Amino acid sequence: MRKIIDTMIEKVIFLCGMLSVIFVILIFSFLFIESFAFFRGFNIIKFIAGRYWYPDSEPVSFGIFSLLVGSFLVTLGACLIAVPLSVMTALYISEVVSKNVRDILKSLVELMAAIPSVVIGFIGMIVLVPCVRKLFNIPTGLTAFSGSVMLAFMAIPTIVTISEDAIRSVPRQYKEGALALGATKWQTIRRIVLKTARPGIIAAVMLGIGRVIGETMTVMMVTGNSSRIPHSIFEPVRTMTAVIAAEIGETVSGSMHYKALFSIGLVLFLITFIINFAAELFLGKNKNK
Amino acid sequence: MVDKIKVEDLSCYYGKKCVLESLNISVVQNEILSIIGPSNSGKTTFLRTLNRMSDLDSIYSRRGDVYLDSASVFDMDMEELRKRIGMLFAMPISFPMSIYENIVYAPKRLGLIFKKSEQDALVEQSLKDAFLWNEVKDRLKSSAMKMSGGQQQRLCIARILAINPEVILFDEPCSGLDPISTARVEESMVELKRKYTIVLVTNNVKQASRVSDRTAFFLMGKIIEIDTTDKLFVSPKKKQTEDYITGRFG
Repeated sequence: MRKIIDTMIEKVIFLCGMLSVIFVILIFSFLFIESFAFFRGFNIIKFIAGRYWYPDSEPVSFGIFSLLVGSFLVTLGACLIAVPLSVMTALYISEVVSKNVRDILKSLVELMAAIPSVVIGFIGMIVLVPCVRKLFNIPTGLTAFSGSVMLAFMAIPTIVTISEDAIRSVPRQYKEGALALGATKWQTIRRIVLKTARPGIIAAVMLGIGRVIGETMTVMMVTGNSSRIPHSIFEPVRTMTAVIAAEIGETVSGSMHYKALFSIGLVLFLITFIINFAAELFLGKNKNK
Repeated sequence: MVDKIKVEDLSCYYGKKCVLESLNISVVQNEILSIIGPSNSGKTTFLRTLNRMSDLDSIYSRRGDVYLDSASVFDMDMEELRKRIGMLFAMPISFPMSIYENIVYAPKRLGLIFKKSEQDALVEQSLKDAFLWNEVKDRLKSSAMKMSGGQQQRLCIARILAINPEVILFDEPCSGLDPISTARVEESMVELKRKYTIVLVTNNVKQASRVSDRTAFFLMGKIIEIDTTDKLFVSPKKKQTEDYITGRFG
């Protein structure tokens, strides 16, 4: 009897473990099948490199280049803002402040992660967008820049929390060893602490990017949703995620438009997959060193 | 007999707890002074006060003074002080970089060397002085983390020698090493005495008797006895010292 229970539990655990793998495979194949059908009717090169996203006009054009640029701009901007800010915050929390302040700061940063993205988008719309419009004296504050700022807000908690853990797990002896050799605090942080914690910090940044690139609600609310190729970050853009979210409800199931949206989903999936894979490769490389 | 380090009426506290009580001791130039004593006797605190590593601890406080060549270490610039008083820890801490980079790390930061040829010469000289050159000369670019514990500890010695200090503090440098590596480290200590002044904290009483010129016995934050190593080990004046070195307690 005990043996049967044992085998059964083992099977159940195995099944649970396999389930997540199966889901990923299912999602991927679903995206792939829909996209494959789409690419039989629409040239893949035109899809990736086409400048115009006119799903409803005649003749239709499903070019996602402007969306790719939009997503790329917003993500890049968010990274440029969030990464230095987060790493320095993490350094401050783990290396500078006293223990009491550290606990308060850390839980506050973690609380930031709990803010729903629609609320962040809302605050962006009400507060940031008018500011951006006035500050830079441009026709609309709904720009890629606004999207970057709001997304940076969403990435910061992830990056701070994980890189703080990485920085704090640098053995105390490393720091002491460097200090005992006459290095200053900053030299120790830059050459020893950051260097040792680098794999963890990179993983944190990758996770942050993953969150930013897939974020939909906030960007939809503050980037202006105009699917043109922008000339600067102070122009409205439209991201891939926003297109899917805005249009999937209005399409006829099985139509070309519907399938085109799945193809965008596939592109997004591939991008995040590549980012994760790159991070994994990098971490693995560092571990063996 | 020139006093390199002179400690005057030094008391150290962690929070309210007194770990060293009105210590008066001096270290003579080019000697090896061993400090022995059971755990909790304040040996390491004493060592870490000399190069002010203890200052990193927020609950640490002290009274009294320590002089290095008649200048108070507490008035000195922290980095300057640690350049003059190098320290070797119990656990070998090689930085996660190559052997070569480990050695040039501090001299570069301190602005002691600039040219590549100077660096190469410094690396070779420091490794030779630490008796490590022959074992690693063909793999200077490989990671220091791949070396054995004994090699890493000697790399740490080489790293200290590279900044050319005046005093080297050894904090139980062989506690994690096998007897052969220990012998190597001791060998290099005796050799280093010619150029440097050495303070050695050790839990290994025999090690103190093997390498040091003078030995101090600490107990509960006080110096019980200090004398030349020969005298202290052959005819200790205090009963507690005798008990400790013969292994009756501690």
